[in-house]
Amino acid sequence: MKAHDKYDVFIGLEIHIHLNTESKMFCSCKAHYGDDPNKNVCPVCLGYPGTLPLLNGKAMELGYLVAKSLGCKTAIKTSFSRKNYFYPDMPKNYQISQFEEPVGVDGLVEADFGLSERRKIRIHDVHLEEDAGKMIHAGDITLLDYNRAGYPLLEIVTEPDLRSGEETESFLRDFQRLVRYLGVSDANMDEGSMKCDANVSLNHPGKGLGTKVELKNMNSPRFVRQALNYEIARHAGILDTGGSLVQETRLWNENRDITEVMRRKEAADDYRYFPEPDMPSFVPDKAFLARVEAGMVELPLEKKRRLKAEYSLTSEQAEFIHDEAATAVFFEESVKAGADAQNAASWLSSDIRKLLNRSSLTLEESPLDARRFATLLGLIKEGQISGKIAKKVLGKIFSDNLDPRDIVTKEGWFQISNPEELEVIVKKVMMENPDVVSAVKAGDIRQKGFLMGQVMRISDGKAAPELSGSILDELLGNST
Amino acid sequence: MPQITTNWSGVITNPERKQSYIRSVREIDKNIGSFLSFNPDLPGSDTTVKGALGGMPIAVKDNIAVTGHPLTCGSRILENLVAPYTATAVQRLEDAGAVVVGKTNLDEFGMGSSNENSALGTTVNPWNNDRVPGGSSGGSAAAVAAGLVPLALGSDTGGSVRQPANFCGVYGLKPTYGSVSRFGLTAYASSLEVIGTLTRDIDLMETAFGIMSGIDENDQSSVSYEDSVVPGSDISSVVMLSVGNDMLDDPVARAYMETGEALRAAGYSVTEISLPSLDLVVPAYYTIATAEASANLARFNGIRYGYAPDFAENPADLMKKARHEGFGREVKLRILLGTYVLRSGFQDQYYGRAQKIRTLIRKELESVFSSADLLLMPVFPTQAFLKGDSEMDDFKQRLADVFTCLANLSGLPALSLPIGVENGLPTGVQFMAPSFGEQRLFKVARNLKDTFPLQTPPNYLDIGSLV
Repeated sequence: MKAHDKYDVFIGLEIHIHLNTESKMFCSCKAHYGDDPNKNVCPVCLGYPGTLPLLNGKAMELGYLVAKSLGCKTAIKTSFSRKNYFYPDMPKNYQISQFEEPVGVDGLVEADFGLSERRKIRIHDVHLEEDAGKMIHAGDITLLDYNRAGYPLLEIVTEPDLRSGEETESFLRDFQRLVRYLGVSDANMDEGSMKCDANVSLNHPGKGLGTKVELKNMNSPRFVRQALNYEIARHAGILDTGGSLVQETRLWNENRDITEVMRRKEAADDYRYFPEPDMPSFVPDKAFLARVEAGMVELPLEKKRRLKAEYSLTSEQAEFIHDEAATAVFFEESVKAGADAQNAASWLSSDIRKLLNRSSLTLEESPLDARRFATLLGLIKEGQISGKIAKKVLGKIFSDNLDPRDIVTKEGWFQISNPEELEVIVKKVMMENPDVVSAVKAGDIRQKGFLMGQVMRISDGKAAPELSGSILDELLGNST
Repeated sequence: MPQITTNWSGVITNPERKQSYIRSVREIDKNIGSFLSFNPDLPGSDTTVKGALGGMPIAVKDNIAVTGHPLTCGSRILENLVAPYTATAVQRLEDAGAVVVGKTNLDEFGMGSSNENSALGTTVNPWNNDRVPGGSSGGSAAAVAAGLVPLALGSDTGGSVRQPANFCGVYGLKPTYGSVSRFGLTAYASSLEVIGTLTRDIDLMETAFGIMSGIDENDQSSVSYEDSVVPGSDISSVVMLSVGNDMLDDPVARAYMETGEALRAAGYSVTEISLPSLDLVVPAYYTIATAEASANLARFNGIRYGYAPDFAENPADLMKKARHEGFGREVKLRILLGTYVLRSGFQDQYYGRAQKIRTLIRKELESVFSSADLLLMPVFPTQAFLKGDSEMDDFKQRLADVFTCLANLSGLPALSLPIGVENGLPTGVQFMAPSFGEQRLFKVARNLKDTFPLQTPPNYLDIGSLV
């Protein structure tokens, strides 16, 4: 029997994202990746005596934006506390974090788990805090880089409402999409701009939460799924034999595909929270709230639903187009410029995607814009070029950065749709292939395809296919 | 505008007088020990500024940052630290022409009221070298009393400016919380403390306060002074805290009564009041101060700056050794206390309760100031006590903070001023005013100046007459 049939599964997440701000949370140092160690530091983020934190208003704004997008009650007044614990990479040995009055609480997000189910996941709270530095162990010595110390972090804590590794992976991908749509974070788990810890417990149906295990060190949504499914199976195995779980923290080992004990919790950590005396409470004013409001966008799930309905897309097409906000914008602009929605969707998800991957460009960086794309699709629709030629034109747009119509003109790629011109070509093919013509006439219809292929070859693919076909039929019939 | 009577002309700007000044300070301070570092020639001191304080030598308590000067906080753990930036309050004085000549001794991180908790030096009272200068800004008080500088900065977390000023016979101001930026003041108890001034010249004090005060973009707890100021004019009613007979030593009690009489004689209405919550002040103060200290002092771990042991097994071991070897006894005690009162599950019993007491005291004082302009109080139950534990042990010293830490819990401004000299030691009192009522404090002090003229200790350096 599967774990899910026998037990209730409870999964909750703690997600951290780095916010896209120019400067750090409490000082004016650059919040920037990849610089030389200890380059972006100052007395404040190094915790020199006498320094004081200064709130980054932009980070606060982004915090409210995310809280609002996750359906939280946003705070009328928000404040910071000190979370006390010693760690060598934390300059002050306390972290300034929101505890009693976070930017948002009691959120509710609809999660789309595919066709099977659509459920609401409760968000416990959304709060701002600062990141620590980085320790690098090198043989006998430990090096410290404080560039990241003071980086603005947003932590999102969910209630234990998720039920499987698959659901959780899907929820995380939706979440990444959401914060990218809002432009608040890159949310890359492998680059460290997003982190996700999960807690999981199993229990007999109706018995409520079981003994909780915390999972860490999962560097992609896929690893989160794998780690959770591994744990769910492990818990079920223990419960099946009447055993009991130990409350502990485990690490995902991505090389061995297993979880391993990191530490057992004998007593709860005591962070000795108390209100940060160096910072007054923050009460958003009208201008601030207006900026937050202005930052709101159509959220990914709404967009997916709307695209599907409005343009009669398949689920797969809608899924692909809404994945990145830029793709959706491009799609809608193209349709507005006259492109056929179905065609646009299928071109975007196949040929264009391939070209982008090959040139490692994003849609926004590429020479293809919505107008050019609509023109290209228009040329096909009007019968000016064939689909095959269109692919070549697309390649040329990428390589030469020209308008499709200019390319077609320059290259002489317009479709031949003049019946007389086509008749000349068809006759030539028939004359060159008398055996095949005889065979077709004798009833071997399959060989007609060969003749059509020759028509295309001779015309460099420009012969209008339907018209050429009917001319061929006519001539074959006529000569009988 | 106040008329500063202090004469410091040429002390820094005239090369010969400067040499004579430096020699005198070194000579006198050999006995007193007010300075932990005396660097009148550090590059960066601009002697050409022609502001209100142009060329004035000032001393700064060694827990306030001044670029290029040490910032030891009187602690082994920061003995080798040089400040990489300058505190806003100091910067503003420098911009007005003041020149920082040295950093003064203090109880380690400001924790104490005798200066005997300094790990780096001994300071004695200029009036009697067997006695303490008070604390924690004892070095600043002693330097001003001995005439080494006309003005010194201190910090007042629970009385640390007013009590040493009182012991040394000089003025000491604890401004309204938030009126002077804390940026650059090494934090001990962030919600209680503020940078204050010590001087023998009440007009200089007012001028310096005017320069230092006001909102600072580097300190989010600072406020705009102009928007909040309570004018000093028309003060007529003073209330005196009624104090039990056994609470004050005789000379202190006499000075207190004499001040009340002098105020009546000068036409003030003077009445007595009592504060029901007074007994709760010291426990609440120490609960909040140690809680905040336990977090504020966590940053000192030997990694980025300050004392580090010669050898450590790993980063955690390094932090442990640095703190074990770097902090003194009183500091460790207060960190432990603070850690204790913040434990989860015990916050209601200690920290939360202390905050409630704080609110209660604020309300009591609010009601006092709804009908009175000023509150007169003793500063400390005794005059400067003897060095060592013979007169005042640590516990008695803490209980004795009751009159001073009231202003810190409430955030209100208070000024201690000298009244006289008995048994060769200064006596004094303090006035408290409503928030942003510093003008009232300056005014009443000025009104009492002629009745209780300031006196000078033996070996006083008159820098105005240096040649």
